[in-house]
Order: sequence, then structure tokens, then C-alpha cells
Amino acid sequence: MNSVDRREGPPADGYNFAYLDEQTKRMIRRGLLKAVAIPGYQVPFGGREMPMPYGWGTGGMQLTASVLGQDDVLKVIDQGADDTTNAVSIRAFFERVAGVATTTTTTEADVIQTRHRIPEQPLRQGQILIFQVPIPEPLRFIEPSEVETRLMHALEEYGVMHVKLYEDIARHGHIATTYAYPVKVDGRYVTDPSPIPKFDNPKLHMAESLMLFGAGREKRLYAIPPYTRVESLDFEDHPFEVQQWDVPCAICGARDTFLDEVITDDQGGRMFVCSDTDYCQSRAEEVA
Amino acid sequence: MQWHAFESPVHDSQRMFRQLLSAMSEPGTLAAVSDITVRHILPPAGSAVGAAGWATLLTLCDLETSVWIAPELNTGGLADALTFHTGARMAPSAAEADFALVLPATLSGQAPAFREGSDTHPDRSTTLVVVLAELEADGPWCLSGPGIADVRNLDVGQGGEALMTRLAANRARFPRGLDAILTCEERLTAVPRSTCITQVQIEEGVSCMLP
Amino acid sequence: MYVAVKGGEQAIANAHRWLADRRRGERNTPELEVTQVEQQLRLAVARVMAEASLYDPELASLAIKQASGDMVEAVFLLRAYRTTLPRLAETLPLDTSSMRIERRISAAYKDIPGGQVLGPTYDYTHRLLDFLQLANAEVDTPAAAEQRLADCPQVLELLDAEGLIEREADDGSEPYDITRDPPDFPVDRATRLQMLARGDEGYLLALGYSTQRGYGRNHPFAGEIRLGNVEVEIAVEEHEGPVCIGEIEISECQMINQFGGSREVAPQFTRGYGLAFGHNERKTMAMALVDRALRAEELGEPVTGPAQQAEFVLAHADSVEAAGFVSHLKLPHYVDFQSELELLRRLRRNHARRHGGTPPDAADSHADADNTSAPVGSNAALGEEHS
Repeated sequence: MNSVDRREGPPADGYNFAYLDEQTKRMIRRGLLKAVAIPGYQVPFGGREMPMPYGWGTGGMQLTASVLGQDDVLKVIDQGADDTTNAVSIRAFFERVAGVATTTTTTEADVIQTRHRIPEQPLRQGQILIFQVPIPEPLRFIEPSEVETRLMHALEEYGVMHVKLYEDIARHGHIATTYAYPVKVDGRYVTDPSPIPKFDNPKLHMAESLMLFGAGREKRLYAIPPYTRVESLDFEDHPFEVQQWDVPCAICGARDTFLDEVITDDQGGRMFVCSDTDYCQSRAEEVA
Repeated sequence: MQWHAFESPVHDSQRMFRQLLSAMSEPGTLAAVSDITVRHILPPAGSAVGAAGWATLLTLCDLETSVWIAPELNTGGLADALTFHTGARMAPSAAEADFALVLPATLSGQAPAFREGSDTHPDRSTTLVVVLAELEADGPWCLSGPGIADVRNLDVGQGGEALMTRLAANRARFPRGLDAILTCEERLTAVPRSTCITQVQIEEGVSCMLP
Repeated sequence: MYVAVKGGEQAIANAHRWLADRRRGERNTPELEVTQVEQQLRLAVARVMAEASLYDPELASLAIKQASGDMVEAVFLLRAYRTTLPRLAETLPLDTSSMRIERRISAAYKDIPGGQVLGPTYDYTHRLLDFLQLANAEVDTPAAAEQRLADCPQVLELLDAEGLIEREADDGSEPYDITRDPPDFPVDRATRLQMLARGDEGYLLALGYSTQRGYGRNHPFAGEIRLGNVEVEIAVEEHEGPVCIGEIEISECQMINQFGGSREVAPQFTRGYGLAFGHNERKTMAMALVDRALRAEELGEPVTGPAQQAEFVLAHADSVEAAGFVSHLKLPHYVDFQSELELLRRLRRNHARRHGGTPPDAADSHADADNTSAPVGSNAALGEEHS
């Protein structure tokens, strides 16, 4: 079955291919090469206004626009799903301005733009995963000043982050960070993996695909190359652990995926289903 | 002599960028510029720079970038052609260059002081575009680090020591450093500053020894 | 059985159609024309042009119409359009001294060379609703001077001649361009002024106001406020002298602030500066107050008020960025929320165990092996604290 949706005809008139002008793409491309060369370091870039609001994926979109080619197949997900409104809107945007083929099937995509999830299907070499990032600075909620956090990264001074995590443990008995859980990339930079659930953090480690991160409003981009060590920050006596569910997915029966809770009535009834809709659907089809 | 721009600037430079991106992401893997692109932009006969080097400059340079060109490579009106096609400025000194087109020998002895960036802004550094006479996989240079699952070997030909020694020194200054795109005719690879480089003796027959 | 929500595409298309209908309003009312907006809502047009950083009254008017009068949305529309425009040339610095003046006042002196020119201002109107406008009453033609005003010298230049105010000189350096490169904090004054010039008027107004109430007070006087048209010039190769490519309307405010001085430097007045496209007086005044407040560090003043904290002020001034990030909370956050839910339940279970009570979600369908949606007790609701 071929689930790639190929558009007929050229992209929308009056726009450059993939919307951005070539000069802007080159600026972003130069930034991306530096980002890959310094894994986890946030490269400042001259982010442009996109025809969508800041906070709605403009950083990811600018990266996608800069890497996307006419023969690429694009997949866009939000919360793991291809059909959430924002994913639909961004996919339609690139269909319109780049005329590229799109898909919902993870394995068929060359470029995947995502918000808040990493697909359950492990990505292969050559695929590029582009994350939308709201606040790229992992230290921002501890130290609001950019001048200070830049210095902390330069000096590799990450003690405050450990103190913050340890305060959680003292107060709750757990590290109370459940998403956007900070990681250390290649043993050097403490990096924000974007607001993915910490369930997805292990997928960052020694992944086969290239992962690019774009923060449009904050005008930063960064990267985790394939086969790169990515450790979630933790303590010897409180090792990093991911979320677990007591029940399998109500649709496909998966026991090893991130589950969304769905409220089914006003009596407190609820069920749990895979947040990755493509993965869930392909499993459900296999079972059927 | 004629230096040509891409036939399709939007799509050729996109394809070329993706090759550079994957080269930088997986250091030491060899890629070749597509035949169609090469046919159109083939540098003039006798020029030292090959198709991959020229295509790299066309892809990444514009009026916001400054380029330093090693004197031995600036033949056949290369600098003028680059400015004409991309708008790039010639850097008055190596220390001001965003990109530097160099030979391995450029990095030996009293090498020009290219920008390594600072600890707060390591990205503000020169990217080397190196022109090589030989570039093969499975050579004496053993690469490891981000982008490399295990180890990867590279041969940059005779006289490559100065280049690889300089790039190997990156690790000690990380995050400052120089990133390199290595080109040879229509082939290219990349060695970013994150890569660990060691040299193995070929006569021993062993592929690689990790430090 | 439950199936994942689909059909987002159709829902979005329907929402857009509904929006267009609401924008148009009742069809028996004539449709608003862009020229009407441009001519009759000119202060709105000026604000949109200023905050979008694009001088184009017609397209700003279109943006206001398309946004149903939502100014922040209109600014965003015009800003997004601006990004797609090629940069053809760079203008020379505007010379506001040779402005064709429409309005020009100083609160520092009773009379000034060139005179006080009130111009079209709401300042002295009584804020009484003019019910005649409900019936579209005719408007008289204003009296006009027979000759255009001569160029008016800048009031602050008069002080400058006496050395009473700090001198500002062009050092010739190329200003940083915030539309091309991200601000790299700490930023210089030219960069700050660029960021303030496109900053949200309400935000700057509140910050400027806060300095007047003591949060970083600097004793301002409205040295001069001027409104009028200035020529925009570019330098053209192989052409002697600058070439005028048109005229734009701008507002400028120069505040005179409390003197500084030290053992070495004699006391003198300092300046705060505001500039904006179009008739944008309130904006330029607020901008001048904030500009002066942000110079605290440079002038050796203690930083005590929010308006003096450069990173704070500048990082939050842009309405396009701010509105975008606030509105993004409307996007789905199921995954993060689910992560928080899972943790909160675990913490509450631990808490209950420690305190010997019943875990708050003991009857949670979580544990149901068959995963049916069995109703659970009302105490499973998150918001309800067990006693």
C-alpha cells in the first residue's frame, strides 16, 4: 500500500519554493551545519516571521523550509497525531508552497516535523526529524537572563540544574519534570529536548536519524546528530525512569507506547490509547 | 574562463545542502555531487577547485558571508566569479572569514589564524572548504564521535597530516574549533569539530584503534 | 468504540468560512473599503505600520479590515508580509530637522523658534461622544496657513548650543539589524531603539508610566514632539548627492531628563528618544521614557524598576511574539498534560500512603485489566482534594 499523497501541479504561484527566500534559507542552512558540528549548542539565527503565529511551530517550519526538497516526502505530527489541527495546518502549508508529497506513514517520510513527540517506530538513517521548540534554553526557568545562561553553557556550569532536580526529590520524592526533561548531549551541552514526554528521551540516544530543533520566537536552532550520546540528567540514587501505564492501548493493545488518556463520559470513565496515531493504526491493521 | 552557477539555483542548492548536512551529520561518509549538477557547474579546465568545492561555495555563500581563498587556489578568476555569482565578499584576513577555501598545506607551519569562535559563541567560526587531490574511505585516519556509530576511516591522501592534525586539535578546544568540508573533484565529506581523530598505521593492517 | 479524532482539515476550512462571514457582517450594510480605513482610521493605520515595521498605509488598512479591527492581528498580518519583501536599498538616516511640520510642541519652553504648532490633535477635545457623527454630519474645512512653515530647529539643539544637554553624535558605525539577526544581549542603544520602535504600544505605555510612578524615575520633560513628513533618501552609485524616493509621515519625541554628571563630567540633561511611523504620539512618548530608563546602567544609575531591565523589557516588547506564544496555549498539549497527570496521581498516591488514607484514585480504571471505561468514584476527579 502506498500512502504517500502526491500533489498534482506546481506549488502556489507568487511564493518561493517552500515559502522562504533563498537568502533566508542559506542563513538557516549555515546555522544548521554549525548546529550539527556542535551538538546540543543553541545557534542564534535570524528567525523570520512566518505566516503562522510564533509559538505554533514557526521555528520548526523555517527549518523544514530550509531542508525540504521537491522529491522529499513530508510527515507532520502534533502530539504524535497526523490529524491534530496544527499538524493539518502545517502539512497543508507545505503542500501549498512547496508542492511536496506528504504521508502519515512514518517509514515513508524523509522529513518529519513534530511537536511534542518522537514517533514510536524507530527512525532510520537518512530520515530527518524536526522538532518545534517553544523555549530552547533548558536553564531559562532557573535563570531568566540570556546573558547569564549563555555564560553558564560556556563554562559548562550546570550545577543549578542538578540543584533544581534535587529539590524536586526532596519535596516530592521524585524528579517532578515529566516533559521537556533536560538531557546532556555528547557529554557537553545540557539541552532542552523540546516538550516531548520524558518517555521519548531514550529515543534521542544513539538514534539513527538526524534530529534538528527550531525555536522561531526565540530565534535559536540546534541539533543532535545521529549516533550521538544523549543522557537524561539524573542521580545515582534517583536514576532516570520513564512513564509506565498499567493498561495496554485500547485500540491496538500496545504495551510499550506513550498513551493518551481519553475521557469517555462525564462519570469519570476513561480509556488509554496510543498518542502515535500512525503506529497505532498500523498495529491495529496487522492485528485485524 | 567560465565559472557557472547552478542551473536551477533553488533546487540544486537544496540538494547540495542536504548532502552537506548529511556529510556533517555523519562525518567521514563520502558523497558525490549529482551528475546533472556537476555537468552544469564543472569548474573551468585547469582550475584547482573541483565541482564539489565550487558547488559548496555556491550553496552556502551570499552577500552576508566573507570568504578567504588560499592564494594557490585563486586561479582562473575564482574569487571574482564567486563574488559575481553569490555576492560573497572576500575576507580581508583569515580571522574574518566565514568560509575559507584551503589546501591541506594551508594548515601547515604558520597557518592563517582562522576564527574558532568563542566559548559563548562557538558558532562564530570559520568553516574550511578543503580541496584535496585524494579522498577515499578506509585510510589511515580513524574518526569517531557524534554521527559515527562505531568508527569510520578516511584517506585524505599525501600531505594530509597538517590538515588532520589541525582538525584533531579541535577536540581539546571544544566547543571552539574549525569545521571542515573536504572536497575532491565531485566527491565530498565533512569533519566537524566534534569528531575525534586518531591515526592508525596502515602497515599493521588493523583498521582502527580507539583511544 | 472510540476512534482517534479525524477530519481536522474540514473543520479548519469550515472555521475559516465562518470567520469570513463574521468579518463581512450583515450583507445589507455596505462593505468597508480599504480606502475608508486608510482615510478615516488613520491612527489605527499608523499604529499597525509602526509595530509591523512597514510603511504602507494601503496594506496596513487592508490588514485592519482583514483582521476585523484586531490591531495585534493586523500587525502580525503586515509583519508576515514584510518578511517576504526583498531588500532593494538602504536609506540614508532620516533628517527630522527638515521635517515638513504638521504638529510640533515643546513642554519645556513657553515659546520656541518656529512656534508651537498644535496641528491635528485630540489633546484639547472634550471627550464627549459626538452624536452628530452617528448621522455622518458634514465636516468643515480647516484653516490653513498660506505658506508652509519654515524648517524648525530642534528644541534640544538649542540646549545643545549651551552644553546643557548631552551631545549625541553619529559615530558612523553600521547599526545592528534586528530584522536580520537575533538580538545578542546585552544590546546597544541603536538595537534597543529598533526593538522599542516595533514594540507594542500598550506595553511601552505601561512601562513608561511605571517610571513616572517611581519604578526607575528619571524626571522627564517633553522637550519636543513633532509630527510631519520627511523625505526618504538613498545613495545611488554614479549619482552625485542623495536621491529622494518619497516622503513618509513620522512622529518623533525627544524627552529631556534629569541631569547626570560626576566628578569629571559637569551636570547636564540627558535624553530619551522615540520615533514611529505615522501619527503615533503616545507611542513615541512612551518609547522615549523607556529608552531613557534603559540607559540607567550606562549613566550609572541604580537599576530598581522593571523598565530599566533591558533583557526583560526588550524580550517581551514585540506583540507578534507575545501574542503568538500566549495563543499557542490553545494548541493541544495532551501529551505534556498526560505526563503531568501521571505524575500527579503517583504523588497523590504516595501522599495518601504516607498519611494512612485511601489513595485518591484507588478505584482508577487505570488498573482495570479489560480497560473498559468503568465509572469511578467522584473522588477520582483531580481537582477534588480529599480531606
